Amino acid sequence: MTSVSSPVRPAPPERRRTIPGRAPAGRARFTRPSPRALRTWLAFLLLAGPNVVLLLVFVYRPLLQSFYYSTLQWNMGSPTARSVGLGNYVEWFQDPTTADVMVTTGVFMVATVGGSLVLGLGLALLLNRRLKGRGFARTVAFAPYVLSGVAVGMLWLFIFDPRYGLLSAGLRAIGLDSPDWYTTSPWALVMIIVVYLWKNVGYVALIYLAGLQAVPLELKQAAALDGASSARTFRSIVLPLLAPTTFFLTVTTLLSSLQSFDIIQAMTKGGPLGSTTTLMYQIYEEGFVTGRAGYASAVATILFLLLLVVTVVQLRFVEKKVHYA
Amino acid sequence: MNQPLPAQWSPSRRDVLRLGGLGALALSLAACAGPTVGGGSSAPSASAGTDWSKITPASQITWWSNHPGASKAIEEELIRRFNAEHPDIAVKLVTAGAGYDEVAQRFQAASSSNNLPDLVIASDVWWFRYYLNGQVMPLDDVFAHLDVDVADYNPTLYGDYAYDSRHWAVPYARSTPLFYYNKTMWAAAGLPDRGPGTWAELAEWAPALRGQVPTDGAPLGLATGTSWAAWWFENMLWGHGGQYSDEFTVTLDTPQALAAGDFLHDLFHGSKVAGIGTDTGADFAAGVFASTIGSTGSLTGLLEAATFEVGTAYLPDGPSGSGTPTGGTGLAIPASRTPEQQLAAAMFLSFLTDPENTAYFSQNTGYMPVRTSAVEGETMSSIYAATPQFRTAVDQLAEKSRSQDWVRVFVPGGDQILTEGIEQIVLKGTPAAEAFASIAPRLEKAYQENVEPSL
Repeated sequence: MTSVSSPVRPAPPERRRTIPGRAPAGRARFTRPSPRALRTWLAFLLLAGPNVVLLLVFVYRPLLQSFYYSTLQWNMGSPTARSVGLGNYVEWFQDPTTADVMVTTGVFMVATVGGSLVLGLGLALLLNRRLKGRGFARTVAFAPYVLSGVAVGMLWLFIFDPRYGLLSAGLRAIGLDSPDWYTTSPWALVMIIVVYLWKNVGYVALIYLAGLQAVPLELKQAAALDGASSARTFRSIVLPLLAPTTFFLTVTTLLSSLQSFDIIQAMTKGGPLGSTTTLMYQIYEEGFVTGRAGYASAVATILFLLLLVVTVVQLRFVEKKVHYA
Repeated sequence: MNQPLPAQWSPSRRDVLRLGGLGALALSLAACAGPTVGGGSSAPSASAGTDWSKITPASQITWWSNHPGASKAIEEELIRRFNAEHPDIAVKLVTAGAGYDEVAQRFQAASSSNNLPDLVIASDVWWFRYYLNGQVMPLDDVFAHLDVDVADYNPTLYGDYAYDSRHWAVPYARSTPLFYYNKTMWAAAGLPDRGPGTWAELAEWAPALRGQVPTDGAPLGLATGTSWAAWWFENMLWGHGGQYSDEFTVTLDTPQALAAGDFLHDLFHGSKVAGIGTDTGADFAAGVFASTIGSTGSLTGLLEAATFEVGTAYLPDGPSGSGTPTGGTGLAIPASRTPEQQLAAAMFLSFLTDPENTAYFSQNTGYMPVRTSAVEGETMSSIYAATPQFRTAVDQLAEKSRSQDWVRVFVPGGDQILTEGIEQIVLKGTPAAEAFASIAPRLEKAYQENVEPSL
């Protein structure tokens, strides 16, 4: 995401020959490493080792264990389990609720990623203007992002309450009835999306704001001299220059959207009737509520693969279309 | 490290792979933790043969609770009283969740670690899962050692935790669903000051009650959700002669069960006697619903919140009979704790549920006293005289209570699956036959996967 206009780092000359402990080119042969090479290795282990160990223990070990658990029929908390091979995966693909979960996940993802990019950019454009109290407004806009998702969820439950909530009072004032947000299928998902956007849009706005401030003023001035309207300037100059920011935000908001859990747990617990059960929430529900730890691990593996594919596709294909200034 | 590193050196891909390989080797060794694969029954053979007379109780124990019926202050007071008698055993009260499910989920997740409590909430739909997983100890021996008069526990409530000739928990915050009604609305509608004897009678009264509630209200307010909807629906199911299951055989396809499902459908979508609420207690107290079904544990809270006089009654009967499920929670002692901790926990448990303290707990929450002697004791008698609503639950327990259907309380996830079926009918208007047909195979599968192998 950084600029690549700086001079390219010169490749270390004859780097290969100076690598310690490496056998000469050609067939690999064991040679006793020199004391110097050993010292280098030791230094490498001392510096990189602790981080690598932490990653292995707290990231890769659970990941591998989860792959293993996904091949078991295991009731959470039980000391025994039965191996079922790929049975859990087969069941997930055959389960009629899988389609619903994937649709919910897709709708949530598109709405939250798209929504937060559009609203975040709008907010950033607004906050980039010379307004009175701009610093305060920026702080307020960013504040929800640092709040706990559970607290945010609880707060918005009161706002959405169809009988006593602020929103229903507002709707009544303009002669509309409040939908029953908690118990009607499409509305519950809308509610979750609105709250997610409120919480996360400040982050997107902040990053966009940084991007906007990096757009060179002289480009905009040159466009103005050429008679470009502000809309045209935005479309042809600002937006393309924001492409790296947009790309970065797409990747991060997409990942966080697919992993969101706290707001759903606090507000709807995946209901009503599973209408807010995303893939992430399904993992929790199967693992901790129904107690099917093996099946939950299989769903977790599927989510992991999905995230992997999405990220690789973005980095491989979408990034190529991004124009770095 | 005195010599500077060669400037040109940086770890090659192969170096990193080597390091990774070493780590992976360590991992593959470490990854052996977890369940034993291919083992037989996981049901416990726990702590048989501990000679409790040779054990000294631990000096500190931890209690995981969700403070049922907003009872945190009550529980703290009970701990204070216990410490007055046993100053050498400190009890640490931990809020381990907002409800029974959350405490249970935390307990399940912690089961493979050392971060376990010495005493834990064990609700009607969870204790058997603890038993199946070998997570809790039988209490009979240690209670015999402590000379606990177990015969004084309400036999129905104590018997709920019996399996394999032993008891795996002790009743603590036990309840039945109650029918709560707004006496002011009842009087304004010209109805007698009592609950409806049957569901048909409530339907007859509904038009008069509808005039008393706002347009978005209803004569009866009901809430859905796990650990709840499948509990009160048992009353309707039994009233129509049906049941969720005959032992572990799912019986949701019988004409009686389907009739009960159709009745539920009609309640919300036909006669509209009932309306859906998320916090029916608050809605009832605010006058949105003329009546509601709530736990006995909500009694104190409702009496305080309502500005009108609250009436309590038995749940209505159905066309083919009656029945009220018991529910709420017991307390269990984890099997993996040291005997010293288990003994201290058992001492505290017996203290918590002795006649005097169960009366104190009942008085402040509305949960039923779990000791027979407490019901007729001085404390409760004076409470019943002053607030007769407290008596309804105890009488209903004696006259109408029935053990819950096994598939709800003994099959892991059973309650959740049943709730989904009920929510399909209530929230979506799905015909009962279709809703029940969609959940029956899942209940059977859950039984085959999680219970059958352990029996």
